[in-house]
Amino acid sequence: MSDIIINIVSTISVVAIPGLILFIVVYGVIKKVKIYEAFVEGAKEGFNVGVRIIPYLVAMLVAIGIFRAGGAMELLAKLISPLTNFINMPAEALPMAIMRPLSGSGALGVMAETIKANGPDSLIGRMVAVMMGSGETTFYVLAVYFGSVSITKTRQAVPAGIIADIVGILMSVWIVNLIFG
Amino acid sequence: MLNYIWLGLIVIGIAVAVRSDWRDISTNKYHNGEEIETLIQLSNNPTLPLTSSQTYPCTLIYSEALGITQQAELIVGSNNSGVLHIFMDDNTPPLWREVYKIQKNEKYLLAHVTLGGIEGQTVHCKMVFDPVKFVKLNAVTNDGIIKYAKIAVELALGLIGIMALWLGIMKIAEQSGLIAKLASALKPVTTRLFPDVPADHPAMGAMIMNISANMLGLANAATPLGLKAMEELNKLNKKLGTATDAMCTFLVINTSNVQLIPATVIAIRASAGASNPTDIIGPVIVATTVNTIVGVVTVKLLSRLKVFKKQIQPNV
Repeated sequence: MSDIIINIVSTISVVAIPGLILFIVVYGVIKKVKIYEAFVEGAKEGFNVGVRIIPYLVAMLVAIGIFRAGGAMELLAKLISPLTNFINMPAEALPMAIMRPLSGSGALGVMAETIKANGPDSLIGRMVAVMMGSGETTFYVLAVYFGSVSITKTRQAVPAGIIADIVGILMSVWIVNLIFG
Repeated sequence: MLNYIWLGLIVIGIAVAVRSDWRDISTNKYHNGEEIETLIQLSNNPTLPLTSSQTYPCTLIYSEALGITQQAELIVGSNNSGVLHIFMDDNTPPLWREVYKIQKNEKYLLAHVTLGGIEGQTVHCKMVFDPVKFVKLNAVTNDGIIKYAKIAVELALGLIGIMALWLGIMKIAEQSGLIAKLASALKPVTTRLFPDVPADHPAMGAMIMNISANMLGLANAATPLGLKAMEELNKLNKKLGTATDAMCTFLVINTSNVQLIPATVIAIRASAGASNPTDIIGPVIVATTVNTIVGVVTVKLLSRLKVFKKQIQPNV
């Protein structure tokens, strides 16, 4: 069963992008769109967007970099570790919960390390995997998306995003304990 | 809000680094300036006395009782002094390993030695490492600030190509009417989620494409499509620089991750030898669905708060 799912997953991820591009281009031809001109016209904007997000991304990533490099992550983990027992979260899964919204590559590294240390079929290994799969690099997304349209007043997006992240972590802990505990 | 988070990350990050460095200095964690009595066992029977500026392969016996011996080479200087290059292995004490990392010499840990008496092949000596200070603050500067500023630009520039591709493809889809079609098909859902956006607005189409790409786990396509959607949403923005309700809702859908099949996670579990790498799909779908719903409900409720409402009024 697992093999079948892996097969389907890998097929989708290979076929989806070429398939989508082919479909859109062919559909454009049928609808008599000048596809090459339209493509170039749209693509021109790519450079501007890429350059426009640089200041926002630098601001966000440098702040996260300082936080990580100075060891604040470990201190934060220590401070909130009394709470983890309360929600049945193993202490080993806590770094993952903190890293997930801050850094994508960092979270991937923490997940791989935790899985290696505890085994992929352990409760902790599964918990960090579910956290990785159900979470997102919230602060990167905020910086890039809002940065692309030069928005600095983000209103309710940040608190709602953080609440959703916390709920995601709590749900990951709860459901992994429920099914595999 | 982002202001405070930004400030918090920077201030806390630096404060923790300073505190940790202060503690290292006050307890002299790295034994700065302390001389360590050790023995060096010369290899290959060299001719004595030792000549200066000559390199001798040797074994450093730090503690015979603990079994800590290290391969090293001794470079003899003048006046019984010398430099020791210690090669790291599994027996290296943890503190030395840290000093080695901080020294940033590719292959070895560097120590200064004062040579004492020689008995046969064994040299008595006193060993001292260069002083190690401000480990965390150095890390903040090099691994935090400089490295991440560079990564940010690399990420942004790396987006340009894929960005251009998808914006071009989206233009074709827009002109052929495909996006409008997609938008009208999902009208019942999208008009509830984004009541301020007209149902046939290009922003709807772009948002739907972004969310679909996210669900399929196509991160390469999702970001450009999402940025396209932001650009379209910004055309409806009456107060540039401030996020609209629709933007906030769209952002929360993106930050709560609606991916149905976490391909990367499955791949890592498979390579780690999990008995059933895909058995986390169910839990992931439950967790991500719940957090997306909670996120959307929260963002909708918060949008009714006076603080946030006030920000989109034109005169403020």
